Amino acid sequence: MKIGLFIPCYVDVVYPQVGVATYKLLKHLGLDVTYPLNQTCCGQPMANAGFEKQAIPLAEKFEDKFKEFDYVVAPSVSCTAFIKLNYPRLLEGKHECVTSGKIMDVVEFLHDVIKVDHPLGTFPHKVSLHNSCHGVRELGLSSPSEEHVTPFNKIKDLLNLVEGIQVLEPERPDECCGFGGMFSVEETAVSAQMGLDKVQRHMKTGARFVTGPDCSCLMHMAGVAKKQGLNVEFKHVVEILAAGL
Amino acid sequence: MSNKEDILKRYRANVREKYDMPDLSDIKAITYPDKLVQFIKMTESVGGHVIEVKEGQDINELVKEMYPDAKEIASNLPEVTIATRNPDNVGRARDLNGTDVGIIRGKFGVAENACVWIPQTMKEKAVCFISENLVILLPKSQIVNNMHEAYKRIEFDKEYDGYGTFISGPSKTADIAQVLVMGAQAARSATVLLLPE
Amino acid sequence: MSTGHSIAAKEFLKNQTYSKWHDATFWAVRSKRDNMAYGLDEWEQLREKASAIKRHTITHLDEYLDQFATKAEENGCIVHWAKDANEFNEIVYGILKNHNVKKLVKSKSMLTEECEMNPYLEAHGIEVVETDLGERIIQLKGQKPSHIVMPAIHLNHDDVGELFEEKLGSEKGNHDPTYLTYVARLSLRNEFLTADAGMTGGNFGIAETGDIVVCTNEGNADMSTSCPKLHIAAIGLEKIIPNYDCLAVFQRMLCRAGTGQPTTTYTSHFRKARPTAHPMHIVLVDNGRSEWIGNPEHWEALKCIRCGSCMNTCPVYRRSGGYSYSYFIPGPIGINLGMLRDTQQHSGNVSACTLCLSCQTVCPVKVNLGDQIYQWRQQLDDFGTANPQKKLMCKGMSAIYGNSGIYNLGTALAHWANIIPSPIINCGLNPWAEGHKMMEFPKKPFHKLIKEIEK
Repeated sequence: MKIGLFIPCYVDVVYPQVGVATYKLLKHLGLDVTYPLNQTCCGQPMANAGFEKQAIPLAEKFEDKFKEFDYVVAPSVSCTAFIKLNYPRLLEGKHECVTSGKIMDVVEFLHDVIKVDHPLGTFPHKVSLHNSCHGVRELGLSSPSEEHVTPFNKIKDLLNLVEGIQVLEPERPDECCGFGGMFSVEETAVSAQMGLDKVQRHMKTGARFVTGPDCSCLMHMAGVAKKQGLNVEFKHVVEILAAGL
Repeated sequence: MSNKEDILKRYRANVREKYDMPDLSDIKAITYPDKLVQFIKMTESVGGHVIEVKEGQDINELVKEMYPDAKEIASNLPEVTIATRNPDNVGRARDLNGTDVGIIRGKFGVAENACVWIPQTMKEKAVCFISENLVILLPKSQIVNNMHEAYKRIEFDKEYDGYGTFISGPSKTADIAQVLVMGAQAARSATVLLLPE
Repeated sequence: MSTGHSIAAKEFLKNQTYSKWHDATFWAVRSKRDNMAYGLDEWEQLREKASAIKRHTITHLDEYLDQFATKAEENGCIVHWAKDANEFNEIVYGILKNHNVKKLVKSKSMLTEECEMNPYLEAHGIEVVETDLGERIIQLKGQKPSHIVMPAIHLNHDDVGELFEEKLGSEKGNHDPTYLTYVARLSLRNEFLTADAGMTGGNFGIAETGDIVVCTNEGNADMSTSCPKLHIAAIGLEKIIPNYDCLAVFQRMLCRAGTGQPTTTYTSHFRKARPTAHPMHIVLVDNGRSEWIGNPEHWEALKCIRCGSCMNTCPVYRRSGGYSYSYFIPGPIGINLGMLRDTQQHSGNVSACTLCLSCQTVCPVKVNLGDQIYQWRQQLDDFGTANPQKKLMCKGMSAIYGNSGIYNLGTALAHWANIIPSPIINCGLNPWAEGHKMMEFPKKPFHKLIKEIEK
């Protein structure tokens, strides 16, 4: 099984440690992981802003770079969802599209493909789980609170393999944090309010750490929390899974 | 070309892909081990009252007990002897205003939501809404589980065949600051008298 | 990069007490909906059936409309067809004039709001009295609805108390909602008794039987049509459904989804006028719907049953309120319907969304609301309403991401942003800094670190 590691643009620049944790964790599990050089972006920021055609050259590059792998794994539910759901349409008729069938977020990969069920790292802390929207409603990482389905949460399942951890969920467990890409700079007041409300709900669980499967949500909430002087830390799920390994 | 033909023609021309009607016979709609118990529970939860009439009990006495101060009672039901007004022979619908208790007949109840099917069986249906308090006579064996069952059996009266309604509890609103208030524009209380067979 | 919505939303959020109450109130309605959904094992099956029934019906709507009108006419009703809002208003006025109507009482109808019927009739000398309590409140206050089901939600009990003191002569200082509701009851009771005609909307029209079905909690549709001798029912084309088996599905979902109740108090079937009244008039309204069905990305908006659950669940609506949106219907369905109505006027709403997709996950008929908002965004440039700053930013990102050389250079320099002085970062030209403290850029991006790790 050959795995191609996709590290999205903002993870590359702002949260490289998440990329490092992903790489180290996959290696620790004995997997064949390669990080092809000269990656850039999946195109989601432009597409969500209304310019999805600008994602086409990026999609073509992505295809060429990753088509030989069996799986493409990324520590980002939003990028994974974007590639999976939009690349086939964007590349239709122009370019072969196979990566949309291979791309997986690292959480769903570890849960559904590797089926990790043995203890992972050590993180003896209370954490509040942030169920990012793309993860819930596009990748099926957890049961959406809107639906009447048997409850499940793949992120929680994995986190519970970590030694000493206590996983809590806030009220309104899958309400949006308010990042929304361009939304955060266009609807600044609503975005900040949503971020603050979310951070406060996370803190109300008593947890010192907030964790989730997408750095854009964490980046937004961290920025809001710091501005308000709130004492809470943010870690991507994979950083906790790999903690102490 | 008439407006109707214009509109239908334009609509037809613009439809792209057509879709088939789904099969509705496999809907696993909720059913209850005891429909009557559920109906009573739901009626109370929506702010209504239920009284089980005993065998041989006179509903007129019962209504007088329930509303000792009632002056105007409206009904066209033959078994109601205490009516002071009859919706079949008022001059105008508005003459029913000021009715303290309106007594009407329901055909069957729905357990899932306390709805009672009430086809119009009187000249002026205003009695169902204009009365301060509504009393609905319902045969207690006539309860269905859910609206799928209900909509398979609703019927309109032969004479007053233009109207029927499901009523579930008293009229209500939460339009002022989301505070629920019973008694908006129609009945301020609704009581179902379950009749023995 | 502001829009009408973002500016209005900012104002809305300045009143923290009110905006928190607004958010909590609508979340509570969403929670009640959740309890209803979790209480029915068949809930997701019902959603799927409802969506499928609607897809079938609206793609065969010409047949069902014909069937409905024929049946209604057989029942003795008079059926009118209005191609647009103006024609609708003219038809209604014509009917009222023919019957010498001076005062019309009406139950809630978003369709009449869409056609701006009230001001039209009032300009022609007809007094219109809204009888849904929420609608009556905003009518007395001279305001528009801020939500399609709870139109006066933006007013608290003091607002209403003071309004009723002024307009209805209620007790000064008594702002208890139960008392105020009673005051309105007495006032509206008089209106029902003295009106010459009653108008209702229609939640559903049944093709097989010709019924107009109206759902209310207050009983005001029934009061409006039980005393006055003329009933006019106004209904949008897309509200027609095939038969009672279909109605069962929608009736069970409408109120559970919209207000978290198992049913409205009244589910009334109007087939023909009562014997002591004039024949019932039904006005079927097009006003764009026959065009929208042909829109490849947006035709499914016609499935909407106007329950309001999408607004209740929308985190942006809850924190900005109905008045922040330029269209008379707010929230996710409002963004979509507004664009179908007028892309030039309502493009500003399209960015009032994080694409969280809660709306389409909650929608009882599975309208793909969030997906459609994404698609409207792709079309803004063609409409000429794309934001130029956004366009420029995206061009910039495209250039950087499209070229590995530029990207690698840019990312290598990114950490220099850490030393930009705070006054510059927070100067107002940086919208991110409004709500966030800037993030720290690590010295080395991942693509540099990996080389060290792989060794």
